[in-house]
Amino acid sequence: MSSDRVSSYAEALVSVVQAEGDLAATEDELFAVAQALAGSDELRETLSDRRIPAARRQQIVEDLLGGQAAEVTTALVSMVVGAGRGGDIVRIIEAAVERSAGLRNKAVAEVRSAVALSDDQQQRLAEALQRATGKDVTIKVIVDPAVMGGLVTRIGDEVIDGSVRTRINQLREAF
Amino acid sequence: MTARIQDGGRARRPSRLRRRAFVGALILFAALWFGASPVAAAGETPGACVADKVEALNFGGRHGGEALAILKETAATGVDVGAEEKLKSFEKKLEGCLEAPNPIIPEVTEIIWGGIAFVVLFALMQWKLFPAVKRGMDRRAEKIRDDLDAAETARTEALEVKAGYEAELADARAEAGRIIDAARADAEGVRADLIARAEAEAAELRQRSDADVEAAKRQALADLQGEVSEIVIGAAETVIGRNLDHDTQMQLIESYIDDVGSRN
Repeated sequence: MSSDRVSSYAEALVSVVQAEGDLAATEDELFAVAQALAGSDELRETLSDRRIPAARRQQIVEDLLGGQAAEVTTALVSMVVGAGRGGDIVRIIEAAVERSAGLRNKAVAEVRSAVALSDDQQQRLAEALQRATGKDVTIKVIVDPAVMGGLVTRIGDEVIDGSVRTRINQLREAF
Repeated sequence: MTARIQDGGRARRPSRLRRRAFVGALILFAALWFGASPVAAAGETPGACVADKVEALNFGGRHGGEALAILKETAATGVDVGAEEKLKSFEKKLEGCLEAPNPIIPEVTEIIWGGIAFVVLFALMQWKLFPAVKRGMDRRAEKIRDDLDAAETARTEALEVKAGYEAELADARAEAGRIIDAARADAEGVRADLIARAEAEAAELRQRSDADVEAAKRQALADLQGEVSEIVIGAAETVIGRNLDHDTQMQLIESYIDDVGSRN
């Protein structure tokens, strides 16, 4: 899928979210959905399989998200899957999140951690990242056990890696 | 060799006078030999001589064989001594018929006739035979001389041809020697080139082999080091994973936040 089409879908999602209000909450939910799909190849392939009827694929989305996410979030994901763009939904959601944060004059800081971060930790981390990068950031935490310990933050193309996994990898390369 | 034969032939060729004397002596000897035979010398055979002696015998008024028979009978009686002496004399005459003439000195007539025959024969030979023989011998000598000259010419030509052949042979040998030397030099160059190439290849092979061995050694060491490091890192990872409890996780997060916050 071309980047223009991804941008168009992302812009459509952001427009709908703006129209429905509570931009940040919907943004978090969409980001969580994207991370869940990114972590499951089987689910992503199922949602992008054109041999499965669109209604069936949309039903799968509604079964998974129904009751756990806002209606607008479920509807947006179902719309993308129904349009046959399930294979690009992760990229579309990430682009939408960045566009949404941009509308609020913020940059998306994707933070990977082995354990969940408290609100206080997220707040202090956002402040620290703002001081370090000069950008007002919104934290998106991804719990990833592969990190082992510490944090890995990605803001756009910039990565600040303080994970135990990276230290161990560096040690392995040093050998 | 041909020249030697030619000189020898000339040296042995008799002079004309000596040749004539030799032929004359030969003819004279032959005339004396055949003309001096006993029968020819007497002018009659022994039988005729005996018959003439018997026919000429007279004894007791008888002639010939009767006279001889009477004489023998008379002499046999031993009464007439004269008859015995006459019989002995007659027998001596008969013995004279049987005696051979002188083998050396022939009869005079024989000598005369023989001399005449010799002179005639010699004159005929001098007139016809000797010039013909001389011409024949001269032709033969000339032919031999011509043959010798031709042989000498041929020999000279052959020597010249031989000299030419020998010169060509020498040139061919020299050329062959040059070719052999050139071939030997080429072969030596090829040999040296091959040896140099083989040595270079061997050196390269050795170097490559050494490099391969060194690379294999380095690879083995690297593999071993990698395996060891993997084991060590894996063990360290396991130990770290076990020790990363909640408090440690929080400390790491706080440390990260402080570290990021201290960046400007």
